[in-house]
Amino acid sequence: MASFLLNRLFQALVTAFGVITLVFFIQRLTGDPTALLLPETATQKDFEAMRQTLGFDRPMIEQYLSFLGDMIRFDLGRSFIQNAPVSEILASRFPQTLQLAGGALLVAFAIGLPVGVIMALTRGRAISRWIMGLVLACQSMPTFWSGIMMILVFGVWLKWLPPSGTGSLAHLVMPSIALGLLSLATYARITRSAVVDELGRDYIRSARARGVRTPRLVRKHLLRNSAIPVISITALEISQLLAGAVIVETVFAWPGLGQLTVQSIASRDFAVVQAVVLLGAWVTILANLTADILYSLVDPRVRLGNQ
Amino acid sequence: MKSTLKLLLASVALTTFAMPAFAKDMTVDLSGEPSSLDPQVQWNPDSYYVYRNIFDNLVTRDNEGKIVPQIATSWEQVSDTEMLMTLRDDVIFHDGQKMTAEDVVFSIKRITDPEFGSPQLGQFDQISDAEAVDEVTVKLTTDGPYPALLAQLVKLSVVPKHVVEEVGDDAFNAAPVGSGPYKFTDWNRGVSVTLTRNDDYWGDAGSIETAVFRAVPDAATRLADLQAGAADLVVGLDSDAATQLAGQDDVQLLSAPTERVAYLGMNLDKPPFNDPELRKAASMAIDTVGITEGLLGAGEVSVAQLASPAHFGYAEGIAPWEFDPEAAAEIVSAKADVAATPATFATAPVFDQRIVQALQQMLNDVGFNVSISVTDMPTYLDIVRSDPADNAELSFGRWSCACQDADGIAYPLLHSGSNWSRVNDPKLDELLDTARGSLDTQVRQDAYNQVHQIVRDNYYTLPMYQAAVLYGAASDLTFTPTANESLFLNRMTWSE
Amino acid sequence: MASATRYRSRYIAGQLLAWWPAILLGLMVLMAILAPLIAPLDPNRQDLLGRLKLPGYEGRGGTYWLGTDELGRDVLSRMIYGSRVSITVAVLSVLLSGIVGVTVGMLAGYLRGWPETILMRLVDIFLSIPAILLAIITVAVLGPSFFNVILVLALTRWPRYARVAYGQTMSIARRPFVTLARSMGCSVPRALLLHILPNIISPILVVATLEFGLMVLFEAGLSFLGLGVQPPTASWGAMLSTGRNYVTSAWWIATFPGLALFLLVLSANLIGDRVSDIIGKGR
Repeated sequence: MASFLLNRLFQALVTAFGVITLVFFIQRLTGDPTALLLPETATQKDFEAMRQTLGFDRPMIEQYLSFLGDMIRFDLGRSFIQNAPVSEILASRFPQTLQLAGGALLVAFAIGLPVGVIMALTRGRAISRWIMGLVLACQSMPTFWSGIMMILVFGVWLKWLPPSGTGSLAHLVMPSIALGLLSLATYARITRSAVVDELGRDYIRSARARGVRTPRLVRKHLLRNSAIPVISITALEISQLLAGAVIVETVFAWPGLGQLTVQSIASRDFAVVQAVVLLGAWVTILANLTADILYSLVDPRVRLGNQ
Repeated sequence: MKSTLKLLLASVALTTFAMPAFAKDMTVDLSGEPSSLDPQVQWNPDSYYVYRNIFDNLVTRDNEGKIVPQIATSWEQVSDTEMLMTLRDDVIFHDGQKMTAEDVVFSIKRITDPEFGSPQLGQFDQISDAEAVDEVTVKLTTDGPYPALLAQLVKLSVVPKHVVEEVGDDAFNAAPVGSGPYKFTDWNRGVSVTLTRNDDYWGDAGSIETAVFRAVPDAATRLADLQAGAADLVVGLDSDAATQLAGQDDVQLLSAPTERVAYLGMNLDKPPFNDPELRKAASMAIDTVGITEGLLGAGEVSVAQLASPAHFGYAEGIAPWEFDPEAAAEIVSAKADVAATPATFATAPVFDQRIVQALQQMLNDVGFNVSISVTDMPTYLDIVRSDPADNAELSFGRWSCACQDADGIAYPLLHSGSNWSRVNDPKLDELLDTARGSLDTQVRQDAYNQVHQIVRDNYYTLPMYQAAVLYGAASDLTFTPTANESLFLNRMTWSE
Repeated sequence: MASATRYRSRYIAGQLLAWWPAILLGLMVLMAILAPLIAPLDPNRQDLLGRLKLPGYEGRGGTYWLGTDELGRDVLSRMIYGSRVSITVAVLSVLLSGIVGVTVGMLAGYLRGWPETILMRLVDIFLSIPAILLAIITVAVLGPSFFNVILVLALTRWPRYARVAYGQTMSIARRPFVTLARSMGCSVPRALLLHILPNIISPILVVATLEFGLMVLFEAGLSFLGLGVQPPTASWGAMLSTGRNYVTSAWWIATFPGLALFLLVLSANLIGDRVSDIIGKGR
């Protein structure tokens, strides 16, 4: 177990290093933010002065080495657009992203799981196909469209929910649904096929033959034994949710990492982009690792280290 | 369920409205978060909308656009390069300390210090020195005669020396202390900035008690916020938003001409627009009236010069462009081989894509071969600032210097020494330098009259219209938008 | 005899019903191919005096059956032409990301050792970089173009194929028929192409059909963020992202392309679901 963890962490470190290096260089291919920082009337002299202040006049490799030095000291640097330490900015945004991702996962889970089970149990019947169609329809619309429609219907017309922003549980409802719908079909599908697989097994057949009723069967056996694929998909979904949140956060003015990513890339706020990407990489890595550990807890047949 | 909720909401709304009008809070939807609340760092709309309420400036502009006293009560040009300013002696910073001439001197030296690296440095670097003559008098020295000094001082916020020196730049930016009608209360990063009224303000602090500025990037969402009553004032709308709001009587659309001049920039070093005849054809292909009235219709004013009536240096009597697509097509077909050179129209998502597409279509209709290239803002800025050889053939801009002086637009866009300029005309350079270096308003006006005529005659660039700004507001808000696009809360009131 | 005919026609009707997504998809592809023939008007023809007109508007160009957009262009013609962009982008990006991803995945799973380490870490790295970052950088460095939209999508999606191909290849690479082929002098590319690919293609096809719908949506998302195909070229995503600003004043701008986009993605998803069912049963 320990050597497995060490090995995985080492690989994660290598991946994170690769990500950060790649991001460092490719974003610098796109120019620097000097033009954005200066007013329209700035002269060439102003530009050079600003470049010097920000350190963009130094050779690329020198910038990279000093950046690596900062990373080793856990110094994420400063945002020259927001004029604040990057760690502070991340600290204010990360909880918002967690809330939204949590809300979305809850939506996807709470609807996707039962729908998947129902589809498995009604397999082969028309109803199953209709439900699947409905689920797929939910993710067949761009979020920038479904988002604004939800705002107009529930925020403007019915006035049930605040149209945008943060501050209360009510604010979380629409963005969570908009984001959760994207994962819903995945959950429903995975659950369905996992349950279908289990249904074909001998122990279920014999339990059925003994007269165990369906709800009990689902509770006692199916859910637990279908958990592995669901867990593994959750690990993938979490990183997807962080990425997919860009548009949802923009539409609902949700101040999470997605919006921060777009704005920092668009303003060439290098330090923030690097930190966000690094954070995202670690979340992905840790989610996958947690999923692996959970497997072994849920299903003792899976041995860590044989991956 | 629905009716209970509606009832609940209605009662909440009732209690809100039942309160005395002056107590009503205000929520403003901006398109982005302020980049800085330190007024000497960033000058961009989302930032200055907020911090201009926290700080006083040396002078300000009234709703008619006239420069009027604020911290400085009077000023006198004592020589070509020196100005004496007399200050109020009753200004108290939000921390209770009195403002002195030392604070003013500190503010000027801070923003002009290259080490500080203010992005606004270029607006103030003509000021070579500032000194406190006595408690209430400050002497400003400029490098040479500088006619735009007062216009620039409209944007010079006075910061408290003792606070900045004590807490440092970062902490000051995170929790600014000013002397303005509103006090900084809270900055919830990424979400909102809250300001509360400064009841000890020396002037009129206005009637709004608390204002929350939120960052809402999507224009459709800002509009929805306004319609739902979640926001009282929203910025960054276009004229088609008006049709969205039609039939809703609790919201209104406010507009005003700004000091932005919209223009079609042409690359004079590359075909097809290195040919004056073809530039003339382009000017005749563009239906400015169709754009300002058919497409925009928010009070834009057609101009054929790089200045608007809101600027000093606007020339009366510059002939408008003639719209004559048939004649344009004739010129183009006579030079078909050059005119058909592929021309790239560089633009970014922040520009109104309706206008960009309309311009492209109008040019192509007479025989040009224009294609649009949308990139993000930094890439766009890189392209339009690059050398003529790498530059795009066309660009669309809405230029503002926030100084309402022709110098702020004409100099950067026309003087060969500026890296925005595509023009290289010694006569223009000379006139622009004359206008920049004289304190005689008549000399300056004469120079600008000639500048605008030369640009018009040579089709160096195609100024099209004075842009308007649109705000959506709750219908019980009284607010007069101004040309400098500022949101001064103490100039807004709730009716009733 | 009569009952047999009825039975058969009922069977055909049933099949048609079951495969309507494929039929719909086929019709849309046909619309894309025949766009110049069936579009009633020039999709880019503007009329600033005929902006935001209701469906059925009789204007300078003729009848605007689905109304005009914010620049007075014919919504119907733009929709017909827009199908070309939306479908081509999706098809080509699926193909490109599929080919790259499957190649990388097969190589990693077959060769093992250090190529595996390098390739799969590369996959991890690409999975960790936000798509939006790749999109903005691609446009900034290479300039905006139709092909670069496809490139952006392929760059962000190939790791998914790589993962699937990698896992599948590993599971069969040591099977006797592969090792036997190798020992008989079959080269690596030949072994991958002739022996491994046919055995792993089914799960990859499932991924590809599901990805198709996603790519249509991604293209729309890029348009929303201002990184899509260049104006005035019409794509359903671009029309929808403009049209959403006119929902209450000119509903037709967004509704029709939105419906088309929805049906395209839905049929792709339904087909994907169907394919994965069939292939799943076969295994």
